[in-house]
Amino acid sequence: MTDATPEQIGAAADARLERLRAGLKRRHARETRFKLYGRLAIGAAVVFLVILLARIVEQGHTAFYTHTVTVPVYLDPARVDRAYPQGTNFEQLAAEQQLARWGIQDDEVGSKAAQMRRLFSSELKFVAADLVAKRSDVIGETVPIAAPLSDDADLYLKGEISKETPEDQRRLSNQQIDWLERMQREGVVGSHFNTALFTNGDSTQPELAGVLGAVVGSALMLLVTALIAIPLGVGAAVWLEEFAPKNRWTDIIEVNINNLAAVPSIVYGLLGLALFINWMHLPRASPIVGGLVLALMALPTLIIATRSSLKAVPPSIREAALAMGASRTQTVFSHVLPLAMPGVMTGAIISMAHALGETAPLLLIGMVSFVPGVPHAIDEPVGALPSLIYIWENASERAFHERTAAAIMVLLAFMIVMNAAAIILRRRFERRW
Amino acid sequence: MIWIYLLVIFALGAGAYVGGRELARRRAVGARPHSRPGQHGAYALIWVAVPALVVVILSGVFSGPLERQLIAVDTPDSVTALEPFRRQAFFADAQRVGHGQPALQIWERPLAEQLPIEARRMVSIERTLQWGSGLAALLAAILGGLFVSTQIRPKTRARNRVEGWIWGALFVCSVVAILTTVGIIASLAFDSFRFFEKVPVFDFLFGTKWSPQIAIRADQVGSSGAFGAVPLFAGTFLIMIIAMCVAAPIGLMSAIYLSEYAGRNTRSVIKPVLEILAGVPTVVYGFFAALTVGPALRVFFNEIGLFLMGGPLDGLGQYLALVQNQMALTAGAVMGIMLIPFVSSLSDDILNAVPQSLRDGSFAMGATKSETVKRVLLPAALPGIAGALLLAVSRAIGETMIVTMAAGLAANLTLNPLDTVTTVTVQIVTLLTGDQEFNSAKTLSAFGLGLTLFLVTLLLNIIAQRIVQTYREQYD
Amino acid sequence: MKFRIFRSAEDQTGAGPAEAAETPRILPQIKMGKADVSEGRLEDAEPVTGPAVVDSPPVGPIKIAARDVGVFYGDKQALFDVSLDIPDKTVTALIGPSGCGKSTFLRTMNRMNDTIAGCRVTGRIAMDDEDINDRSIDPVLLRARVGMVFQRPNPFPKSIYENVAYGPKIHGLVSAKSEMDGVVESALKRAGLWDEVADRLQSSAMGLSGGQQQRLVIARAIAVNPEVILMDEPCSALDPIATARIEELIDELRERFCIVIVTHSMAQAARVSQRTAFFHMGRLVETGDTEDIFQNPRERRTLDYITGRFG
Repeated sequence: MTDATPEQIGAAADARLERLRAGLKRRHARETRFKLYGRLAIGAAVVFLVILLARIVEQGHTAFYTHTVTVPVYLDPARVDRAYPQGTNFEQLAAEQQLARWGIQDDEVGSKAAQMRRLFSSELKFVAADLVAKRSDVIGETVPIAAPLSDDADLYLKGEISKETPEDQRRLSNQQIDWLERMQREGVVGSHFNTALFTNGDSTQPELAGVLGAVVGSALMLLVTALIAIPLGVGAAVWLEEFAPKNRWTDIIEVNINNLAAVPSIVYGLLGLALFINWMHLPRASPIVGGLVLALMALPTLIIATRSSLKAVPPSIREAALAMGASRTQTVFSHVLPLAMPGVMTGAIISMAHALGETAPLLLIGMVSFVPGVPHAIDEPVGALPSLIYIWENASERAFHERTAAAIMVLLAFMIVMNAAAIILRRRFERRW
Repeated sequence: MIWIYLLVIFALGAGAYVGGRELARRRAVGARPHSRPGQHGAYALIWVAVPALVVVILSGVFSGPLERQLIAVDTPDSVTALEPFRRQAFFADAQRVGHGQPALQIWERPLAEQLPIEARRMVSIERTLQWGSGLAALLAAILGGLFVSTQIRPKTRARNRVEGWIWGALFVCSVVAILTTVGIIASLAFDSFRFFEKVPVFDFLFGTKWSPQIAIRADQVGSSGAFGAVPLFAGTFLIMIIAMCVAAPIGLMSAIYLSEYAGRNTRSVIKPVLEILAGVPTVVYGFFAALTVGPALRVFFNEIGLFLMGGPLDGLGQYLALVQNQMALTAGAVMGIMLIPFVSSLSDDILNAVPQSLRDGSFAMGATKSETVKRVLLPAALPGIAGALLLAVSRAIGETMIVTMAAGLAANLTLNPLDTVTTVTVQIVTLLTGDQEFNSAKTLSAFGLGLTLFLVTLLLNIIAQRIVQTYREQYD
Repeated sequence: MKFRIFRSAEDQTGAGPAEAAETPRILPQIKMGKADVSEGRLEDAEPVTGPAVVDSPPVGPIKIAARDVGVFYGDKQALFDVSLDIPDKTVTALIGPSGCGKSTFLRTMNRMNDTIAGCRVTGRIAMDDEDINDRSIDPVLLRARVGMVFQRPNPFPKSIYENVAYGPKIHGLVSAKSEMDGVVESALKRAGLWDEVADRLQSSAMGLSGGQQQRLVIARAIAVNPEVILMDEPCSALDPIATARIEELIDELRERFCIVIVTHSMAQAARVSQRTAFFHMGRLVETGDTEDIFQNPRERRTLDYITGRFG
């Protein structure tokens, strides 16, 4: 490499250049391919998200409207019990009269009326019974009664049950479909926004089931969670960040918090079951137990988030306050914490949104059972939105599937609102040092 | 009731604050007090409210178990003689009757007469405990108040003492984290211990047959149950592997693309997309798996099966044509999708921690971006990425809702992704959401599974966090 | 001319704002020369053919010829109309206060600025009469011909051997293992590191001292046999002894390579370079033989800078 003439060096350089050039094409092809893999990976993630959301909207959008039938019912004094109207089989009455109006002869066992009756929701009975209970003078008259269609009839009108399916494989017979279409032609069937979905609690009848009970249950639970987790989490973070001596014990607490953040949520459910229910005998499936479990679960992430926003406050602020003669506590509570507050609140909201969607621990503390109605107290059994989704997804009625997707949309809407609030809070109050 | 207690304590505390402040003002006349009157007030408040609160919380925690003990002391023999199952129901009804609600069951002769008596007894014990704890709280508040009134003097360093209390309160907050861990371990270990008394640990960890259905009553015919958890571990492992096969390459590649290739604009679009994907609750993924991915995969494999049937691969065709919705692949694939943002954001952080100088060094040598990534960045970031993947594995093992909704219950010992398998978490949910009886091995086995799950994920997390931490320190 | 100087503490820790505070304690002798203040000449310079600065053209063949080079970061212009001829087999030092654009100019010569988003280069930089910013020039190939050494030693977290073998491997210059061994050995020898690491080639490069790491990085750069080596303040993170070794190394490498070195230490520029270009506020103020620049600066600003009046 030393005694080379300029010509030799030049030749060597040329050979080297040739060699360099030779590999270039292949290397650039590899580069393009690698970049393509990256694009494909990103594309896959985006496609998954789009499919996920699209499928939920596709399955759920039909749950937001529903069909109601309005039929004239002659409240036959012979069959309506004035003293106990709930005991009257109004659906049967309406079904028989509907058949009679169309001049259809029923057989002896009344199988046609039974089929017709299955087109109406059992709600018809309660609507009629309410009416009779309020105004007993309507007995003996013919009054229009409006009630939801049964879930299967509703599904047919939404096009979810196809006539093409063989009769024995679908939930409605050809005859029922004919009747349904006839009623529709006569204009007694109307479709409208499904308010029941937002104003009712859970029900065994899909057409009457709503998310309100679960929304209130989730809200009560989150209230408990927030009241417990936020003060505890902020307190712990302040202690660790501002007061804790640096020693082995503090290290253990830190490592412990990091590990708790990664403990599977179902383990918290087991903790709740063993500690709060079996040992402390707190009421099963109640918001107080749910809230406690979610609070313990949210605590580590909350502590970590709070600490990082406390860390972001520059030490100069602390030094300035201390130099003015403020005590450590005064410095923290009148200067550091207020400055870190936007970050703390953002972290709190995000961890609450996360807790809102958590399901597994709720199943273990009993929130898998059917809870009708809307809860009022924190110590009675409630349902929660995510557990409602689980229950509905498991239900055998097909009409619950669209409602599951609708409930998911409600849940996601709440989460979006909470996350948006967090983002706005961050944008609005975030300080850059 | 609890609200009334809290309200009273709040009122007492407010009174103590005002009183303490006034007292401090009055006693300060003519001297130079160390602390301001408000700080004395706060000191008084602490001494009144804290003892009362402690009493209320302790009674809240312990009154349940205590009440049960008290009731058990005088329970008539006819009730004690009942099976635990029925005894619980009896007491539940007694409580309902005591609170003026109708009983849920109709009880036979001797019990029917004892029900109202027991109900009255229960209510009176409940009342006694409530009043007792209320009085104890009040007493604690008064004693605290008396003590603090002697302490309010100009020389008292009230501010320092209040700050000491605040320090203590904050410390207690962080101890809650430790207590949670202790609580988890204690509750899991306690019930697991009872389980392992019935089923030997060795049989549990290495047995290959899982069928927890035991006869509830001794006279029922039926199996005695088998608690070999190996099929569950295998199922969990299989689904985790499938999930990682989806999540690791996609997550890692998207992290590489985002941190090395994407411009600011692409990042600002893709990052939120991944965040949304990460924020979707797992129950929603479960729904997606059960009603979209499962049926789609089944149809796909069934079609292939129908195509192959009758051909040279007839056997495979027959098999594929009968594949079910709840195959391991469904749950695994969806879990993989769920983990993509997790892997991606962790790897993104890891890659960003690799100093820019290494990239510059490689580019200046004439390396292309992909060569830089493959030959410099990934080897440099390897420990960090391994840690991130371990954390993802831990999440996959502990994930519950997707598998509960999309995987099966059949404890098959197989590694075929098209078969139905079950996982540890699915079994925990199944065992604990049906009818429970608290002493049967069936219910207790859930705690055995829970303890195993906790220990495995804990181990993974500790290792992963160690690795990531050491990695980060290397470049700090 | 060799000077032994004491480097200030800030200097040793290197980068950043500390740079500005740096003042050499001992300066080369300065004779007040004719201070020619007309800046117009720079702009008047002929495009490709003419010399960059009329006063003192380099002797020997020109390796890199820059004409009217400007660099923009987004809307902000960092470099204005720089025209400079860089001779082959010579050390050219780029000096000037921090933020003057010397590093930016250095990075245009191997198109490292391509890796910075929003960076735009105007003008023409020709290497062997070939425009390196031309579309037909592959930056990958260019960088194989123009090596670069950075401020802080940046060995890859791999073994010493693999660090040196990195370039030949990615460029596919070497096929056999034995050939690679030879390339690694000769590169390490030329970088003066062989004796220190011969017995631990497979141990991690991160275990080397700062000075060794920097020489390893130089070995890594010369392993691909580049034509030009760019050095961006290669000694700013090193102690005086390691600095001295690198400077000796640069002096040896000059025989084979065209070397461009950015430095904020004028003493270093005086020690290692034959040609010096003084940058200020994003403009090339003056270039010439190092001796001339230090003893007879034509520009007032050059004089002020090298006498430590600002910088």
